Amino acid sequence: MDLFLHLSVMSLIYIIFALSLNLEIGYTGLFNFGHVAFFGIGAYTSALLTLHHFPFEISLLVALFLSGISGFLLSLPSLRLRGDFFGIATLGFGEIIRMVFQNEVWLTKGPMGLPGIPKPKLLSVRFATLPQYLLLTLGFAILTFLILRGIIRSPFGRVLKGIREDEIAAEALGKNVYRFRIKSFVVGSIFAGLAGVLWGHYTTFISPNDFTIIETVLVLLIVVLGGKGTEWGPILGAILLIFFQESLRFLRLPPEYSRYLAPLQQMIFGALLILMMLFRPEGLIKERREHGCLS
Amino acid sequence: MSSFLLQTILNGILAGCIYSLFAMGLTLIYGVLNFVNFAHGELIMWGAYFLYFLMEKPLSLPLSFALLPALFLTVLIGLGSDRLIFKPLRKANRLTLLITSLGLSFLLRNGAQLFWGAEIRTYGLEIKKGMRFLGELFWGAEIRTYGLEIKKGMRFLGVSITSNQVAIIVVSVLCIFLLYLFFYKSRMGKSMRAISDDLELARVMGIPSDRTIQWTWVIASSLAGLGGILLALDTNLHPGMGLINLVKAFAATLLGGVGNLWGALFGGMVIGLAENISIWILSPGYKDAIAFGIMVVMLLFRSSAVFSSKE
Repeated sequence: MDLFLHLSVMSLIYIIFALSLNLEIGYTGLFNFGHVAFFGIGAYTSALLTLHHFPFEISLLVALFLSGISGFLLSLPSLRLRGDFFGIATLGFGEIIRMVFQNEVWLTKGPMGLPGIPKPKLLSVRFATLPQYLLLTLGFAILTFLILRGIIRSPFGRVLKGIREDEIAAEALGKNVYRFRIKSFVVGSIFAGLAGVLWGHYTTFISPNDFTIIETVLVLLIVVLGGKGTEWGPILGAILLIFFQESLRFLRLPPEYSRYLAPLQQMIFGALLILMMLFRPEGLIKERREHGCLS
Repeated sequence: MSSFLLQTILNGILAGCIYSLFAMGLTLIYGVLNFVNFAHGELIMWGAYFLYFLMEKPLSLPLSFALLPALFLTVLIGLGSDRLIFKPLRKANRLTLLITSLGLSFLLRNGAQLFWGAEIRTYGLEIKKGMRFLGELFWGAEIRTYGLEIKKGMRFLGVSITSNQVAIIVVSVLCIFLLYLFFYKSRMGKSMRAISDDLELARVMGIPSDRTIQWTWVIASSLAGLGGILLALDTNLHPGMGLINLVKAFAATLLGGVGNLWGALFGGMVIGLAENISIWILSPGYKDAIAFGIMVVMLLFRSSAVFSSKE
């Protein structure tokens, strides 16, 4: 039962993470390969603040704010780049943020990581046990889903889709493509930060090694597998992949084999990405194109 | 102090040579196939590991015998990925290719980790044992090794250089010269440049695009493999070396103008030098971030042809 609750909490956190990436990749066509950076910024900010006895509410808000600001600062130069170059620029950013976590030892304790992150206390309710934490993440996940769905269905969201389909046409209609992309990127970063906050307080220990390209590939795979540009795709993808990944950890393997497990699992993820692109690029759930849509 | 400066510049040129090889391969693939190959970094890494594999037990080949087979195996990975993955996607849009190559990169990286583990390794070459530290810069020019023996490199104008490093520079310069001959004197090289300029026009002129693309992979993979081997000779090997060098190669590519071969050479040199000079100011832990920093500064202050959002 605890295992199931654990899987649910992890899935919900990754649902938030994946939904935020879906706004960027699925709806705006921004191929952000450094999404883990904002996850990390959120996790580290909130962890550091609560470890210094700030209340969770404030830590959470500061964490979201910092994620958003760093998303804004990154997007200013990098969104001038065309799609694929943007991908590598964000990939590089992800690596650099990890280097900051690793090198700024005075702040982050470097490779030692931050142990003992307290469980959150929100509006004087403490979310300490597993079922309580599940409720907390569920609440945030529903909130994220509703907010992002609201954004996507709004006129603003339709402009984003328009940019994805044909940016020149969007520009011709008088939309400032650069600004719309920045906004989408900032919103995505904020929610990635939220996922990071929840994750950090859940595991109670974070270190720079938690924020590598492995996370980026995992969340990208979640979105691509489930179906990018769909409301439910990332949710399906997150549940499938997190259950797969976490249940591997409970395999009883002899210790001499267990060191092969992590690379093998990640090879499967890499291969899945390739296979999806080769055989079903739209993902498990296919985006319903509205009537009259280009393509 | 001036020898300190010379040493920094020498180290910069050394790194620059290697980055140039990476960047030239990356930009070549981009020019001909029109996508950024994320897996390029993994070709670098596999090249280095193939050499390691051939030089370790049970094969224990000497370097001179192992070099060509290692490059050959790297080329096989490049050609294989084209045949199995990128060829069916030739008509796919760029972002599909991007995700695919990221997946491939992840697959290859973890493949290496599966075989050789995540630890840092070095070639057990007698020229220089153990790994060299950045600290060398601060503690004088001797090469400190893990084996506690201190080997001095050759000294020249107060600058120390190991025979490995001489080899790196010679091989890179030779490579660049051969590339020049290939691109300007051979028919295949000219076809590549033609396709890179304008695929449709090249087709109309009867240039066989399939064969040219295969040759492009051969050249790009061997450049990556060779660069990876040189880098590992100078420093060490680990499965993560591909990713960080991909970012550097990409920054070099951007700096020189994407698809521009000689620009890539220039960009690689700039990044190599900047990284080594940066150690004066920044903590060495950020050395790998310099390439990214240069990229950001350039994006902010220079808008070249790369940055138009138009295709």
